[in-house]
Amino acid sequence: MLKVKNGDIDKMGLLYERYHRQLFRFLFNMTRQKELSEDMVQNIFLRMLKYPEGFMGFGEFKMWMYHIARNVVYDHFRKVKRTPAHSDVKDYEEKIEGGQITDAQIEKDEELKMLESAMGKLSDENRELLILCRYQELKYNEIAKILNTTEGAIKVRVYRALSQLKNNYLKIEK
Amino acid sequence: MNCKDYREQFLLMLTDDLDQEQRNEIERHLEGCADCRAEFDAARKVWELMGEIPQPEPSTAMHAGFDALLSNYKEELISRRNPATEWINMLREYWSLKARPRMAFSLLLVICGLTLGYLLHRPGETTSSYNRQIESLSSQISEMKQVMMLSLLQDPSASQRIQAVSYTDDIKNVDTKVIDALFTTLNEDPNVNVRLATLEALAKLSGNPRVREGLVRSINTQESPIMQSAIADIMVLLQEKSSVQSLQKLLAKKDLNKMVKIKIEKSIQKLI
Repeated sequence: MLKVKNGDIDKMGLLYERYHRQLFRFLFNMTRQKELSEDMVQNIFLRMLKYPEGFMGFGEFKMWMYHIARNVVYDHFRKVKRTPAHSDVKDYEEKIEGGQITDAQIEKDEELKMLESAMGKLSDENRELLILCRYQELKYNEIAKILNTTEGAIKVRVYRALSQLKNNYLKIEK
Repeated sequence: MNCKDYREQFLLMLTDDLDQEQRNEIERHLEGCADCRAEFDAARKVWELMGEIPQPEPSTAMHAGFDALLSNYKEELISRRNPATEWINMLREYWSLKARPRMAFSLLLVICGLTLGYLLHRPGETTSSYNRQIESLSSQISEMKQVMMLSLLQDPSASQRIQAVSYTDDIKNVDTKVIDALFTTLNEDPNVNVRLATLEALAKLSGNPRVREGLVRSINTQESPIMQSAIADIMVLLQEKSSVQSLQKLLAKKDLNKMVKIKIEKSIQKLI
């Protein structure tokens, strides 16, 4: 990243190669909208290109990337004020329906749908915690850095988010 | 540890952040506590289900979009750099088109002026001729002064003779004629002041061995105590050791002034 800062723009392509998938996942899980997430990935990388001076604040490129990504995501949430959260879920439902359907698949499909809506009922903060922990392969201390708090606090908060999710899920199951 | 503490560890069980001992401890608790077991199983189910939610891959359109973005940005950077360079280029072009002939013309003019001035003036020649003129003039003046001095020394007025002695400063090459004239004045002039002035003039010429000799010889011809002490001073000043004999001869004179005697004795001591 320091090289990008010094004008080596091609290095940004390298960083893109390394991190775009991870970033896309985070954005997709947060927004549940594929195209929007893809746009956001581009926006975030463009921002990093244009304002590399912001990088100095955070030790690692990844941390800086998540900082910007969170800003972009929360800006988006503020703008749209709660969009229906599962607009793209149908995509894979259709996919599954297109194949050979077994009872087990239907059951799993049901469970996943319930989980999705349980996720949708979580607050943005709790959802974000679970996403960072479950899908981004980040360590607790990295999450703590991104959210600007301590590792211990993160462990407790992620657990609370998980049990909240579990409660939501059980409620839907009944 | 109570149930609450155990439950906070569940997450670490799921993310595999516990060592074997802690893990075993929790397992033991779960076996004994049905509530916690239910809680943990539900949490694990949700956690595992979360892992099964399909994660879409970003489309290839995104890659293409990013590549386009990157190259666009590069071009933008280049064009942003351009205005300044273009401006400089414009200036340079303007310069080469309009200013170059002018510059060349003015340079040509300056060179013409310089060569013309050189041809007209020949600076080397003129200065050397000036120098020659000045040299001849100054040598003429010094010759004139010499003649004037020699003639003025014969003047009956003491002040005129002092004036004549002072001219020796202006004469460049003091020849034997002048030195002889000065010694004649030193030894024979009736006026003490003229003799003193002559003595001073001769002291300045002490680089000449003839002058030193003459001065030593004239020690014994001086009668005036002022002249005697003055000449002794000059001997000390010039560190003329050959004068000691003459000074001792002077000491032997019966009618020598007491003060002069003391002075000459001191001078001899200093010289030896």
